[in-house]
Amino acid sequence: MAQHEVNYLQKGGLPIMLTTVDKLVNWGRSNSLWFFTFGLACCAIEMMASGAGRFDFDRYGIIFRASPRQSEVMVISGTVTKKYAPFIRRLYDQMAEPKWVVSMGSCANTGGMFNTYSTVQGVDRIIPVDIYLPGCAPRPETLQYAALMLQQKIRSESINRKISTKRFI
Amino acid sequence: MFRRYQPKENVQKKAYYTDRFLVVPEIPKNPVEDSVSLSHIDAVSKSVNIIESYMQRDNVVMIVDAKDAKPALALLKDQGYKVLTEMSAVDWLAKKGGFEVFYQLLNIKAAKRIRVKCFIKENEAIESVEPLFRSADWSEREMYDMFGIKVNNHPNLKRILLPEDWHDYPLRKTYPLHGDEAANWYEVDLIYGKEYRDVIGPEQRDAAYVDENDTKNFARIGHEVGYGEQPTRNLTPIRYQEEGGVPLVKKMKPEETKIRADKSWNK
Amino acid sequence: MQQPNRLAPFYENLAFEREDDRMIINFGPNHPSAHGLLNLILELSGEEIVKAYPNVGFLHRGMEKMAENMIYNEFLPTTDRMDYVAASANNYGFALAVEKLVGLEVPRRAKVIRMLLLELNRLASHLFWLATHALDIGAMSVFLYAFREREYVLDLIEDYCGARLTHSSVRIGGVPLDVTPEWRKAMAEFMAHLPNEITMYENLLDTNRIWRMRLEEVGYLDPEIAQSWGCSGIMLRGSGIQWDIRKEEPYELYDEVDFDIPTSDKCDSYGRYKLYMEEMRQSIRIINQVLGMYEGTEPALMAHAPQYVSAPKEQIMTQNYSLMQHFVLVTQGMRPPVGDIYVGTESPKGELGYYIYSDGEAYPYRLKIRAPSFYHTGLLQDWLPGSYLADVVTMIGSSNTVFGEVDR
Repeated sequence: MAQHEVNYLQKGGLPIMLTTVDKLVNWGRSNSLWFFTFGLACCAIEMMASGAGRFDFDRYGIIFRASPRQSEVMVISGTVTKKYAPFIRRLYDQMAEPKWVVSMGSCANTGGMFNTYSTVQGVDRIIPVDIYLPGCAPRPETLQYAALMLQQKIRSESINRKISTKRFI
Repeated sequence: MFRRYQPKENVQKKAYYTDRFLVVPEIPKNPVEDSVSLSHIDAVSKSVNIIESYMQRDNVVMIVDAKDAKPALALLKDQGYKVLTEMSAVDWLAKKGGFEVFYQLLNIKAAKRIRVKCFIKENEAIESVEPLFRSADWSEREMYDMFGIKVNNHPNLKRILLPEDWHDYPLRKTYPLHGDEAANWYEVDLIYGKEYRDVIGPEQRDAAYVDENDTKNFARIGHEVGYGEQPTRNLTPIRYQEEGGVPLVKKMKPEETKIRADKSWNK
Repeated sequence: MQQPNRLAPFYENLAFEREDDRMIINFGPNHPSAHGLLNLILELSGEEIVKAYPNVGFLHRGMEKMAENMIYNEFLPTTDRMDYVAASANNYGFALAVEKLVGLEVPRRAKVIRMLLLELNRLASHLFWLATHALDIGAMSVFLYAFREREYVLDLIEDYCGARLTHSSVRIGGVPLDVTPEWRKAMAEFMAHLPNEITMYENLLDTNRIWRMRLEEVGYLDPEIAQSWGCSGIMLRGSGIQWDIRKEEPYELYDEVDFDIPTSDKCDSYGRYKLYMEEMRQSIRIINQVLGMYEGTEPALMAHAPQYVSAPKEQIMTQNYSLMQHFVLVTQGMRPPVGDIYVGTESPKGELGYYIYSDGEAYPYRLKIRAPSFYHTGLLQDWLPGSYLADVVTMIGSSNTVFGEVDR
């Protein structure tokens, strides 16, 4: 591997510095994620319970903010109906970059047990999702594990991050 | 000699074996024995023609004509039935060509309930009882939303549970459970426009759909890989933080967890 | 980088100062204090509300249409998701309706266990109500304390049926599982511990100036309007009308236990708050009595009606006909007789009623769910005008609406 010596410090050390800056920025971002309280249905109760005293969320630096403009992570907890879909899209658009989406529970993942006319079959038809949580309703520990997984995902990203366009052009 | 073959595509639509000799009994319709309810019904029958009144498993039921429904309810309200607990309709379009509308009333002073039923034809409209009971404002809207039954003299007959521009009436038996085409593409058309229908793709309505090699949806629980990568059989390791830990953040080690013997976590 | 979409820009929802000095705002579907997905369109004159129009339906999942395609036992877990704060109460309402339709007789031990679960769910629901109402008014520590007590309740329920939130713990014909002596001991300990906690909450809130100023004289609900809107539960009892289905049309063993029905003549939010606290104490009283009724009951958990209800597990595993009958009941479903029935039970939110029309098939022909929160939300139309914007939050919280029920 040392067939050619790469002088990493030749451009003023830019690639190393970018990696360190990456790590620092990601460390900062991952340890102070601010969640957007997007409680729709039953999973919202578990989200509240996971923010309450027993399964504390504050110890991870996660605070629940009510405004989309001040939050980073949108946790879709509950059934997404077709009447509510444009509101979800609008609120997602109002969040500032960088933003992530956690889809909590079966209803948000795929429409869940409500295989009916008025349920969106999975919130990823409308917005791009980063982490999916199975469960109905998932336990608070599951939501916390998802938060930790999201932190690991953020730490492995570069700061020039593009939106992961899973389904859209 | 051979049993006739039934195709099995839509087995979940109905219980695929129906006993053709089965006669399901009907709940017996007894005459109303309770004297208090009987007095109320008699007071109503003086001005309104009651087609039938009976008691089924301690539910008192009164059947009237559709145009007599509102006068009957007004008379019952004078008798003390001041609460309209609920009202809705039952779809009998295929069998009888109409809807059966029922009103469930409650008398708090006498602690009695009564159900008033009437039958309306398909395109007939029913008179609103909202001047008598304010809860009919929303109940009738819901009935209109779900069945398409128009209500005369209603203050605000708009859709309540579904979006305003929804097409067709869901609780009719002819409406499919998964929704018709307008329903299936509703959110895509509204947010992105019709052009994005093939970008986003149709809904996945099959509850039992499993594709082993699909790594673009999240079906591979326990064996997750990146988006679009090759599926593997390795189990995703469950780890709470990266191996080396994160600076300034306490490293969670599975060996250090303490399992409490007792359930009472606050003691 | 925005994804291309067709949604119109945001400001179309606001109409600022018109000529008559009124402003229309959206108490939007996404609001931290709206208790769910309630879009309340308010017309304000200064701070006072002149017109209110509740716009619901953002959680409409089509449960009634689902029920027409599912057998009765299959539909039971769906009822969990309606009033998701107290799930067993919904299950129980549905099970009672089907049992009355069919004419099943539930054994006594099952009745005892059901009552324990119902009252436990009532406690969970009232604690949740207290937590969110206090959080909306601003008392954030009460939110944490009440959730701590709720965790006790959820632990007990999880010990019983395995799930914290969506229980399906009550089945048609009885209950599926028995309670162990350790569970009953843990319940008794919790019942001994809870009244002190409720007293602590009352000490925190009862004489608190801010609490009283925000709740007294706010949300005056006239009894006539309450009756006209079909209110039930604490909305009626808070306006002075003595109506509790557990006393008037008793089901299960409510006629054998001794408890009071608190009512308040004040008709305002403070009266309703006191009623919730008092109802919690009455629930504790009921549970303490019911725990004593468990001994001496026969160990039968499901009704004995082979046509409609499967046999107990031991019989299914050993007897051939029980296995066959269980198979048929699970795959095709039981067929109740032809007819319709309406049964109302006292859920923590009000009168939860199920209207089932059966035409003899394994699926209900029509299932209409009478949700108390539906009418309480409709009531906001007539109730809010005249109050101030800050009172909207108090009144919505005081009416204890859950949007899973409103929209079904």
